[in-house]
Amino acid sequence: MKRRTLLKASLQLGVTGLLFPGIAISAYPKKAFLAKEIPDALREAFGTTDIGESSKIEIDAPHIASDANMVPVRIKSGFENTESISLVVAGNESPFTAYFKLYEAQNFVSTRIRMADTSDLLVIVKADGVLHTNKRSVRVGRNNCGES
Amino acid sequence: MARTLKIRAYETDGQVIVKSVINHPMETGRRKVKKTGKKIPPHFIKEVIVSRNRRIVMEAFWGKSISRNPFLSFQIPGRKGDTITISWLDNRGNTDSASAKVR
Repeated sequence: MKRRTLLKASLQLGVTGLLFPGIAISAYPKKAFLAKEIPDALREAFGTTDIGESSKIEIDAPHIASDANMVPVRIKSGFENTESISLVVAGNESPFTAYFKLYEAQNFVSTRIRMADTSDLLVIVKADGVLHTNKRSVRVGRNNCGES
Repeated sequence: MARTLKIRAYETDGQVIVKSVINHPMETGRRKVKKTGKKIPPHFIKEVIVSRNRRIVMEAFWGKSISRNPFLSFQIPGRKGDTITISWLDNRGNTDSASAKVR
């Protein structure tokens, strides 16, 4: 924790232009991104696979995605003090997709992802040091999508 | 390098909504050149750092499953006139950064 405070403080001194390379607060969770199986990815990222389900996490994504290469996903965490939001796409070769670390009172992120096939989207939220998960199934349309 | 970042930020009720698009190919390493059958090597953004008034508010770590020309939107507390800075770093060490004022 001290290291983070120190880094944040030094950043506030005005080195925004030097943000990269190498002043990231935390390290890239490479092993989680390389994992081929969801339990492995979760173990690498969070050190556990035992995560309780919670309906307080809202996942907004289309039921049927017309373009598998651009599936919009909006994630809202209903927890106060949300520390991180992670997104795992069950059907992809490397399921671990995104990991957002939040340092202020934030609870919403949105992005667009690729999906290899119809599958579940898993969202893992860490709030007050406790992990929560929720999932949502997305069907990938094959007929009208730009398969390239 | 041409500009790669577009950022829009606006405030309502003490919450700043930021929307941004990064121009980036986000190659997964699985796509092939049709004619030759050669694989296109992976080229994707690994890290995005967002700061508000020079203070880091979010770090995003991305894998290859993020779409081409990634879209990123999020909400942070803040007010009009704040400066939002977004920087990215890809797996080849390329990087870019841009700022926008909250409106």
